[in-house]
Amino acid sequence: MVKLRAGSKVQGSEDEAKKRRKIPDTAPLIGVLILMMVYFAFASEYFFQVENFKNVLANAAVTGIVCIPSTFLIIAGQIDLSVGSAAAVSGMMLAQVVNAHGVVLGLTSVLLFGLVFGVFNGFLVTVVGVNSLITTLGGLGFLYGVALLIGNGQTVGMDNFEWLGVAQPLNIPLPIVIFATLAALGAITLRYTKFGRSIYAIGSNPNAARVVGIRSNRIIFQTFVLSAVASSFAGAVLTSQLSAGSPNSGLGLELQVVTAIVLGGASLAGGRGSIFGTVLGLLIVGVLNNGLILLDVPTFWQRIAQGLMLILAVSFDSIRAKLNNTRS
Amino acid sequence: MSNKTELIRLERIKKSYNSVEVLHGVDLTVNAGEVVALLGENGAGKSTLVKILAGDIPPTEGVIKIDGTEFAELDVYKARDLGIRMIFQELNDAPTLSVAENIFLGQWPTSGGKIAWGELKAKAQDVLNRLEVDIPLDAEAGSLRVGERQLLEIARALIQNAKILVLDEPTAALSNVEVERLFKVMDQLKAQGVGMVYITHRLDEVARVADRVQVLRDGDSVLNEVAKDVSRDELVTAMLGHAAVKNARPAVSKGVTVALEVKNLSDGEVFNDISFDVHEGEVVCLFGKIGSGTSEILESIFGLRPISSGTIDIYGERFTPKSPQDSTARKIGYLPADRQRLGSFAIRSVAENLSVASWARMAKAGFVRKMDEEAAYGTWADALSISARRGPSQEIATLSGGNQQKVLLGRWFEARVNVLLLVEPTRGVDVGARRDIYEIIRKQAKESNMAVLVATSDYEEVVLLADRAIVVSRGSISAEFTDDLVQANKLIAASS
Repeated sequence: MVKLRAGSKVQGSEDEAKKRRKIPDTAPLIGVLILMMVYFAFASEYFFQVENFKNVLANAAVTGIVCIPSTFLIIAGQIDLSVGSAAAVSGMMLAQVVNAHGVVLGLTSVLLFGLVFGVFNGFLVTVVGVNSLITTLGGLGFLYGVALLIGNGQTVGMDNFEWLGVAQPLNIPLPIVIFATLAALGAITLRYTKFGRSIYAIGSNPNAARVVGIRSNRIIFQTFVLSAVASSFAGAVLTSQLSAGSPNSGLGLELQVVTAIVLGGASLAGGRGSIFGTVLGLLIVGVLNNGLILLDVPTFWQRIAQGLMLILAVSFDSIRAKLNNTRS
Repeated sequence: MSNKTELIRLERIKKSYNSVEVLHGVDLTVNAGEVVALLGENGAGKSTLVKILAGDIPPTEGVIKIDGTEFAELDVYKARDLGIRMIFQELNDAPTLSVAENIFLGQWPTSGGKIAWGELKAKAQDVLNRLEVDIPLDAEAGSLRVGERQLLEIARALIQNAKILVLDEPTAALSNVEVERLFKVMDQLKAQGVGMVYITHRLDEVARVADRVQVLRDGDSVLNEVAKDVSRDELVTAMLGHAAVKNARPAVSKGVTVALEVKNLSDGEVFNDISFDVHEGEVVCLFGKIGSGTSEILESIFGLRPISSGTIDIYGERFTPKSPQDSTARKIGYLPADRQRLGSFAIRSVAENLSVASWARMAKAGFVRKMDEEAAYGTWADALSISARRGPSQEIATLSGGNQQKVLLGRWFEARVNVLLLVEPTRGVDVGARRDIYEIIRKQAKESNMAVLVATSDYEEVVLLADRAIVVSRGSISAEFTDDLVQANKLIAASS
């Protein structure tokens, strides 16, 4: 009897996989981004200008800061929808505290709030065992109320603290520098540290992760804390940019964040995704918004475009999953 | 039996899949009020035969006679109409619905478009009375014990006027008390004229419940006798055949030091008062039929399942497993039977799958270098002859079952565990790779002085792999064999 070498029967699909592998997963995203940029460059004379790019990036940076830990969460098979409201609460807090007690105390209180709220989310998800979608949907709701409460429903002006959002060291807006740094740190963490690799493992198969001794609950807990702290910080940056805390400033942030991450190739089923992909997704969303503004498209159309984009992105995610299933 | 009406007559049934014949002309008859026990090893053709009877698959040749009417083949609906019902080992109920609703599942009586609750409950109670079981109608099915839920399935079959019941290993997951209750119910059904085909692996059940016993081997019917006239040895011989493989046993060897010692271990549910030890460099197999408790014992040692009493010592030190994290920290590895659910990270690379349990050791200041992972993969890919054509970055799910299993074994070798627990290590692995895996396990155990404990339901695996075999039957140790006493027929007799 001829002894079949194990593995020979998957040869065909492996060869196909080999061919596909030459094109990185992110290639279509880069293609879409370039196409969009070419289109807007022809459609609007203001688009292809350094100042406009700075503008796109500075806007994307605030969302981007939130996107980094949110990418961790989605790869781990979790989600945080409370980011927008958490950002709004911190923005309101920052304006109030900075006006009364100065910048140091203002920033400290904001980060402290992020820490406490992250522990709250992490506790509910990992200890009590509530589904993260519901936990953070609740957070989204009640923190919006808190944001309204802090300013009595009004926008609160803030003095003497523009540098965080507006300063331009080396002629680059500070939020972009902060975002780029966090993105690089995030990418390194995900790819090269035990913590990051464990996140992929947990998302890929939570049961197996338990069996090999990964402390899944601890890692998910820590990631929720990171997410809330990042959201609070993003809220502070936004407030600094606007010189005012507005309870509505974080509305729809979760939508932008999830859209960017899923567009970037992360799977809502967990186990797949990358910071590079998220950054590309973020740029696509940012360029689309900016282009639509430059083309004088009314803002409600922008909302429609954003929502549809998320649906499109998750549809791609599902189709990809189906293709993978039929292959194996 | 007073009633001698012939309910089923299957004649010269043949079945081929892709020109490979798996049934070579098998007859099966069941009379009203008769229980026929159908025995045979895995792959003997029992399931295929029963599927033909249930209309799941058509026979390639042969005649099916039900109640005197002849059919060339049945389909599922026709079989239902004829009163043929299947009871499987796995439950097919709706755990969040009530007992009464489950008995009528999908066939709820209605009046004017609404469910007729009064009628539903009255009839459900009626059928439970008929079975002489006392289960509250309003209880959620999911809150019942497995044995009670099994009885609900029978109640459902009765409500639908079953004349022929096929029970496919229904007792595998039941306790002794529940098994006895099931048998009482079967006795009553017999008295009511229901004909039954009873598939089992447990030889002691044959004499208790069956009127006739039929044994299949490799697609042929090799024995068909009155149940009480056949001895246990005759059944075992018939199941194995005279050509029972005489496998060359590996030379037995073990170290002096006891690595794992288990004393009076119970979980208060599946296994009871289990004591044994495993030496350094020794491979010990816990052999038992599915549901006997072998895999649960390993789960408990690894901290996946709570223990109610007893002790575990690792190298003479008391070990109270609370979670898998404790166990891996104590250098215990665990290979689950369900590779997809508990073992592999399907969409991640082979290198990652192999090194995941060693990250803590590999990490320098929290950083895991890809280089180290790939080096680890390289070592074990050579030693275990893992063939991943695209190398360390290939997704594990694209490998064959045997190769995946080698990666998961390599995972624990790389983690340098002292005690390795393996549950059904060759399930879903093709025959060629199986031998490789036995060799690998034995070699690694001897070379690195690792204590290996295997839970398996495959006697051939025990013969080829074990230095020592411990037989578990219904949650208790029933025998222990060493050296050349590890033989297939001894194992099977002791496990039944």
